[in-house]
Amino acid sequence: MAEEKKTIFYTEDIEMRFGGLYALKNINIKIYENEILGMIGPNGSGKTTFFNVITGFYKPTKGRFYFMGEDLTGKEPYDITRKGISRTYQTSRLCLDLTILDNILIGTYPVQKSGYIDAIFNRKKLIKEVKKHTERAVHLLNIFNPNLVEKLFVPVGSLPHIDRRRVEICRAMIAEPKLILLDEPSAGMNADETQELMDDIEKVRKEMENVTIMIIEHDMKVISSVSERVIALNFGQVIAEGTYEEVSHDKEVIEAYLGKEVANG
Amino acid sequence: MKKENKFLDCIKIILVEVVAFFLFLFFLKVESIWTVIVAILLVALIYFLSKIYKEKFQALLEPFSKYQNFAIGVLFILLVLYPIISPLMIVHSTYWTLILIQTGIYIMIALGLNFQLGSTGMMNLATAAFYGIGAYTAGLLALKLGWSALITIPLAGLAAAFAGLLLVIPIYKTKGHYLALVTLAFGFMLVLAADNIEIIGGPQGLKNIPPVNIFGYSFLTNIGGLHFYTNYYYLVLALLGITILVFARLFNSWVGLTSAYIRDDELAAKGCGINTNFRKLIVFVVGNFFMGVAGALYAHMIGFISPPNFQFAQSLLIVAIVIIGGMDNILGVIIASILLVVFPEKLRVVTEYRIFLYGILLVVTLILRPRGILPFGPRKYDSSILKFARKGGS
Repeated sequence: MAEEKKTIFYTEDIEMRFGGLYALKNINIKIYENEILGMIGPNGSGKTTFFNVITGFYKPTKGRFYFMGEDLTGKEPYDITRKGISRTYQTSRLCLDLTILDNILIGTYPVQKSGYIDAIFNRKKLIKEVKKHTERAVHLLNIFNPNLVEKLFVPVGSLPHIDRRRVEICRAMIAEPKLILLDEPSAGMNADETQELMDDIEKVRKEMENVTIMIIEHDMKVISSVSERVIALNFGQVIAEGTYEEVSHDKEVIEAYLGKEVANG
Repeated sequence: MKKENKFLDCIKIILVEVVAFFLFLFFLKVESIWTVIVAILLVALIYFLSKIYKEKFQALLEPFSKYQNFAIGVLFILLVLYPIISPLMIVHSTYWTLILIQTGIYIMIALGLNFQLGSTGMMNLATAAFYGIGAYTAGLLALKLGWSALITIPLAGLAAAFAGLLLVIPIYKTKGHYLALVTLAFGFMLVLAADNIEIIGGPQGLKNIPPVNIFGYSFLTNIGGLHFYTNYYYLVLALLGITILVFARLFNSWVGLTSAYIRDDELAAKGCGINTNFRKLIVFVVGNFFMGVAGALYAHMIGFISPPNFQFAQSLLIVAIVIIGGMDNILGVIIASILLVVFPEKLRVVTEYRIFLYGILLVVTLILRPRGILPFGPRKYDSSILKFARKGGS
């Protein structure tokens, strides 16, 4: 596999155990710079757990992971986000009572410079900063759905599912992270919406040329169309790795999804 | 044409505010159960009219949001004029001035709690205790060391803030309702302690706390025949103005946004890079500062404080103000403070039915407005951001 590619992120024997249950076991994964990496696997195979581990929400019971050469094992989620990894969630985690603008602007937290003192005594500096980020937010919304720009001050709770996902993706993008983790973005969407979503992911790639994307998906159509490389998990272990073609014809993968008999023909 | 519109809008604002102001004065003036009933009916009438004639009502309110600063300015002038006008209209004007000062002090405490509970979702059930820490600090410094109120008031704020810091650090890592429990216990503990420590007066409390004296001007002076409470009225009004400005600016900033995210989804907030524990600590300390300042004002004005002034019932009242007023909305908190502090005083005429009526009032408010009188609205940061967004971001 393309040796000239630079590794941006890698794990060393990650293990996550809940009591006697291994959710992840000996995970050794590399993410190359600038790629779109897909992760598949049946329900409960540990995909989301893997995201939760590498974003700091869970502390791995064994193993380490490195991002841009730095060991981030055991760091708090907010530290990891500030290093340049941002994510979306399987069930969207937006604040439904807050406006679209607020929900996107919160993503700029790692680069915000105005604190309490500026908020009270130096409004000029604060407003300049808010304006700069608002411009960026409007730019991002214009890429995904220009209709949302008119609704900047509308609570997110009134939006349809796909627009909420878009807001969440904008939130993950606005701080200019190096690695974006998308946790099952098509969850709960119909076929049309899923199609739109795939276009959206292409747009993310176009907008941020240097970003690396890792995406968890159940929908094979999404995985096959957007990802350049695929990793398959089952029972917390990597069972296959390669292009979509390779992985989808892998015997173990078919077995994991459809059962042993089918796999044996 | 446009200029005329602006002029008309301003006249509208002045008219509405002056009418409301005199209705309020009239409400204070007449001491009969009928004023209360008429007031309740009037508010109910306005409420239902606003539901029926939604658009007309909106048109009436629009100038207020458009020329917000002007509206606040007019209100401020009316409030400044109050002590001069009220003796001409009200027989017991001194008493009502005192009640209004207390309302102002309660608004200050409630705004501090609103920052903690409404904006950030941190339940603090010891507001009265922190208020008490402020009052005792100011009282002791003034009594034992003879320090001026210019120093004691900010120090009282810092003392309450420091107490909050000491309280929150050990429970830094706990989640959810533990903070409510710890503050609850702290509140009871502090009242008990104050009752038993002889140096700070024990159950007798502190007596003869010197009044505020700024650069030789004693606040006991009667200016132009007005009662000396007028001095405190203006002091509280000024400090309250500053408090409101500070919290309004914090709401319309990254601080307000970060807090709201922590309140609504702490996990998502962490995922956005926010060190939630540290942020919460600062919010708690800042909110407490204003409670301490309010306590110092009370101590200097009344001149006598004792443990029963700072009991749990007071904390509960302040929590009620924030919840009924509407979480994270400054105007809502102010309205609720007036409702919960001035109204019960008015209800004294009906003696034993007072608590009953008070209870009904609260229940009805919560049925009609389950999220509080005025729940928080969209964060606008600044009019320039709003304008920018309206234009579709160009």
